[in-house]
Amino acid sequence: MEYDKILSDLLHRDEYLVVGKKTVRTDALDKLLGRARFTSDYVPRGTMVVRVLRSTKPHALIRRVDASAALGMPGVFAVLTARDIPGENEIGYALPEQPFLNDRKVHYVGDPIALVCAADDVTAQEAMEAVEVEYEPLPAVLDIDAALANGAPIIHKENNIAVKTKIRKGDTAKGWKQAKVVVEDTYWSPYQEHMCLEPEAAYAVPDGVGKVTVIACMQSPHLVREKVARVLGWKLNQVRIIQALTGGAFGKKDDTGPLISGYAALAAVKTGRPAAYVMDRSEVMAATPKRFPVRFKYKSGADASGRITAVEVDITLEVGAYANRAPFWLWRQTAHACGPYEVENVAVDGRAVYTNKVYGGSYRGFGNLALHFAAEQQVDKLAYELGMDPVDFRMKNILRVGSRTTCDQLLDNSVGMDKCLAGVAAASDWAKHREPVRVGNKVKGWGVGCAYHGNSTSRSTPDWSAASLLLHEDGSFTYRTGICEIGQGSPFGHAKIVAEIVGASLETIKIEQPDTDSTPDSKPTHGSRGLMMGGTAAADAAIKLRERMVRVAADMLACPEAQVELRDSTAYARKKPATRIPFSELSEEMHARGENPGSYGFYTSPKRFFDEATGLGVNYSVYTFAASVAEVEVDTETGQVDVTKIWPAMDVGKAIDPLTIDGQIHGAISHGVGFAVMENLQLRDGVVITTGFKDYVIPSAMDTPEIDDTIVVEEAYKYSAFGAKGVGEPSIISIVPAIVNAVYHATGIRFSTLPITADRMHKALKEAGKI
Amino acid sequence: MKPLTGFDLLRPPTLVGALEMMATLEYAQPIAGGTDVVPLFRDVGCKPVHLIDLGLIPELNGIMEEGGKVLIGPTTTHAQLLASKVIEERAPALHDAARWIGSVQIRNRGTVGGNLCNASPAADTAPPLLVHGAEAQISSLKDARWVPLRDLFAGPKTTVLEPDELLTGLRFTPAANSGSSFQRIGRRKGFTLSVVNAAVYLERDGDIVKEARIALGSVAPTPIRVPRAEDTIRGKKMSESLLEEAASVCMGEAKPIDDVRGTAEYRRDMVGVLVKRAMREAWRRSGGEL
Amino acid sequence: MVNFELNGADVSVEAPATMTLVDMLRVELGVTSVKKGCEQGECGACTVLVDGYPMTSCLILAPQVEGRHVCTVEGLADNPLMKELREAFMENGAVQCGFCTPGVLLSAYALLRDNRRPTEEEVKTGIEGNICRCTGYVKIIEAILDAAERIAPD
Repeated sequence: MEYDKILSDLLHRDEYLVVGKKTVRTDALDKLLGRARFTSDYVPRGTMVVRVLRSTKPHALIRRVDASAALGMPGVFAVLTARDIPGENEIGYALPEQPFLNDRKVHYVGDPIALVCAADDVTAQEAMEAVEVEYEPLPAVLDIDAALANGAPIIHKENNIAVKTKIRKGDTAKGWKQAKVVVEDTYWSPYQEHMCLEPEAAYAVPDGVGKVTVIACMQSPHLVREKVARVLGWKLNQVRIIQALTGGAFGKKDDTGPLISGYAALAAVKTGRPAAYVMDRSEVMAATPKRFPVRFKYKSGADASGRITAVEVDITLEVGAYANRAPFWLWRQTAHACGPYEVENVAVDGRAVYTNKVYGGSYRGFGNLALHFAAEQQVDKLAYELGMDPVDFRMKNILRVGSRTTCDQLLDNSVGMDKCLAGVAAASDWAKHREPVRVGNKVKGWGVGCAYHGNSTSRSTPDWSAASLLLHEDGSFTYRTGICEIGQGSPFGHAKIVAEIVGASLETIKIEQPDTDSTPDSKPTHGSRGLMMGGTAAADAAIKLRERMVRVAADMLACPEAQVELRDSTAYARKKPATRIPFSELSEEMHARGENPGSYGFYTSPKRFFDEATGLGVNYSVYTFAASVAEVEVDTETGQVDVTKIWPAMDVGKAIDPLTIDGQIHGAISHGVGFAVMENLQLRDGVVITTGFKDYVIPSAMDTPEIDDTIVVEEAYKYSAFGAKGVGEPSIISIVPAIVNAVYHATGIRFSTLPITADRMHKALKEAGKI
Repeated sequence: MKPLTGFDLLRPPTLVGALEMMATLEYAQPIAGGTDVVPLFRDVGCKPVHLIDLGLIPELNGIMEEGGKVLIGPTTTHAQLLASKVIEERAPALHDAARWIGSVQIRNRGTVGGNLCNASPAADTAPPLLVHGAEAQISSLKDARWVPLRDLFAGPKTTVLEPDELLTGLRFTPAANSGSSFQRIGRRKGFTLSVVNAAVYLERDGDIVKEARIALGSVAPTPIRVPRAEDTIRGKKMSESLLEEAASVCMGEAKPIDDVRGTAEYRRDMVGVLVKRAMREAWRRSGGEL
Repeated sequence: MVNFELNGADVSVEAPATMTLVDMLRVELGVTSVKKGCEQGECGACTVLVDGYPMTSCLILAPQVEGRHVCTVEGLADNPLMKELREAFMENGAVQCGFCTPGVLLSAYALLRDNRRPTEEEVKTGIEGNICRCTGYVKIIEAILDAAERIAPD
């Protein structure tokens, strides 16, 4: 099936009904009426409160946990520790080094030790304060160099390295010889906190006879089920996980979903009572995973004509207390290391290093944001060194169809990098803004950033997705996907794909919340795969059902199957459009004839080859490309950096929903602006000290730049429904480099670390003698 | 964060009722909008305390002109300050500050008295009121006295108020041919605590600075006036170099620290920038030209 | 006992001083459209209208609404201005995860009620206290300006 050719080859139309058109999200009205419920909205009054007792030391052995005083308090139902875990005390994502509850050792301030289960918040707080934990402190490792030093304290294993990566391609020695200019620098990209507006919550109800149901925030119900069942020592069919509408996720809730569900589930199963675990903002900020901090030592060279001849990157990823997503995160940085450019000679070495700090985890961009922060500045520097325009330099090197990526993957389809870059250069009048512009004490500058982002999983990990579609007797549909609605509108995108294929009116398709008891495993909602993979499974389900609908309709209409049109929830023969069979009739007839009204869609990514030893091969099934130009205005007296305008472009393969694409880009710009100029997560001795919106400053409406219309490029991907590619993450990756390159253009100052706060900008201007 | 526990809320409808409670109850603490008190309780936990809600007492709220003075009740909200034509005209620096405090929601609850009695060195209403020579009325059952506002502050987050005392009034005397301005640096354009703030009040006689008052926040344990800088420019002809002089003295007087919001070095440098900007605007508002 | 008016109806709730308005609404009265994002007054998810003024209900102690009018989006379900706002939000793609949405709507409602044709700057100031991490605010601002245009065309 050539999924990108569905419209012409299967539907025999030239025009789309809903795909690519501006449509109103079917879940919007309930949210606007305040009727839509999130996890904590379901928790009945008087539900048992679960709190997590967490380590107050960054690195220590646990000598003793004494809960006797707490257990003696009225209203305290249980204090659960490791020995109360019936299954395995293990919840690590990739590496088995993360206990669900620690009884031997703690690895960061915030590491879970016990669950306190009490009648209400006040009792739970008192009980928490009454539990005695005796620690034997160990030396804490608070930075990556200390972790890598000889004789460093061991966090999980000797040398504190969780995982390593490596790529060798071509001959970098030859590449340096060919280079006319070589630039080298060290970049540090810090933590970023997601600040999902909804703090995590999980609500678990035991049925008393060997099953527990959990409603919670998450991004993958089947992952949560697997982890929770493991901790409980139960079979998968004894655990029912329901993803509640989730108030923002951006990756974090993919990581916290299993933990919070586990805490609520264990508490519920051990006490026999429904249990609610609701986090507060300070706990989210102090203890939950964040964007991994990372250091790049980046060297790159270009010849006189502006071709990049060699790239050498050394990556040290700070993992924090647990590896979590580190192997995948580091791998993504390694595989994308050159940026969206074709470079023959590449050497990349990466290592993920443990420290005794809050650990890293999924966050939109998944390592690629930090990588491009470094790579795009390097490219900018090469351009300036050669006296070349930064856009022209990039055009000489960008990936095109037929190019090979950092890891030598041949791109044979769907490469829209050139159109994105040319688009933003034209839209922003790039050629007219080659000099910074001074107005009073402010100076304006412009910068460009390019990006590429492999969709979904890497290195030929089997990738697939599933969906189910039911046509009811009355012509209405139920659609089920395990892809989670976290604000991004992916499931709605699936519904549009289904509507397009089966010709149903959008409002007749009800999208069910993911529930592991009935929803197929679509695999996780991450890696920008929700629409690309999940939507193709939706297409598969719709195509299968359409086939039967068309067959029955053809018979009812007495016309050949190729003549049948399905549109607006009716079936008709193209040559006789006046005679329409509503879907209610069609469905009744299908049911009467014993034609299967349900279908199960399944889609697997094409098989890929990847060589673990060299780090070369097909890494990701497809890449999304993006470019941005940013305009900034720097107040040279105060150092304040104002991001005033952004021109964004993205090659989305095929735009399924234009409003959703804009929404992703605008939201990503907001995260990017925050990361670039204001978000500053601070720790002291391993303790997060910026524990709320007050001190971890993120953009408000006042901080919104002007955003030009999105330039949507459509280089359809052969293997996905209508050619659609992932949008959620690529949208953030080009923004930060565009901003930092604009700051350089305006002030002549390069920042190799973030955020560029006013005091840092001011200090840099002072030191450079510019004020 | 800690749950709220252990306190009750008393809501006296009269001032004397509130003062009686403050005098007779052990651990009584006033509350109005709660925008500082409630978050503080959540961060560090609550002391067992009687919260005395001042919100029902009519004479503590409002803005009035009387006998040549402007009177501001301590439970006047920042929204009321911002909407007030009297404040906009008589104390433009305070109007400026009211815009930058919090969001619409916070301004609808937070009060000027609460802002002052919370006594953060960064309190935004303090520099404008200080440069307008404001006085604060401190009352107990026993007496009521007016003190210069600067005497209200004892140290970071500490006032001179005794356990039985309340801030019950604010007043200042507006003058003709005067102008004032409030400037601040935040970490974003949206609502945020000031990293450093400053206010300037100038009275103009032709092109001479007849009177000058300068106040700085976030660069000392309390908001401060800078008499040395004021003396330097009082009586002199306004000019750019006069601005520089004042700024330079202020930078010398400032004793900022490093904290999560900014560095000491940055605060000191910004004192200079903000004082100059405030002086320029205050001068312009007094009808002068530079 | 706290006696007040909620969405046009008189209510009485046993609520101690240690209960905030947001908890009284959510837990005692089942009004879950009011959300908890930070409990510090910083994010605006708990915004309600008290006597018509937007306030963060996480900072208000329950007894402090004695005798006052409290309004949430439920109370404005049939309100014509709110209907325009909802339409505008839907058509402009201003809703993503929906967690900030009720709070934003109340701030926007109060803004447009008192200022029929706000400038873009005034809209941004009106919703300055409502944090959204999904939309980047652009479509929310466009939706509010769009609603203003519809109710008071040039």
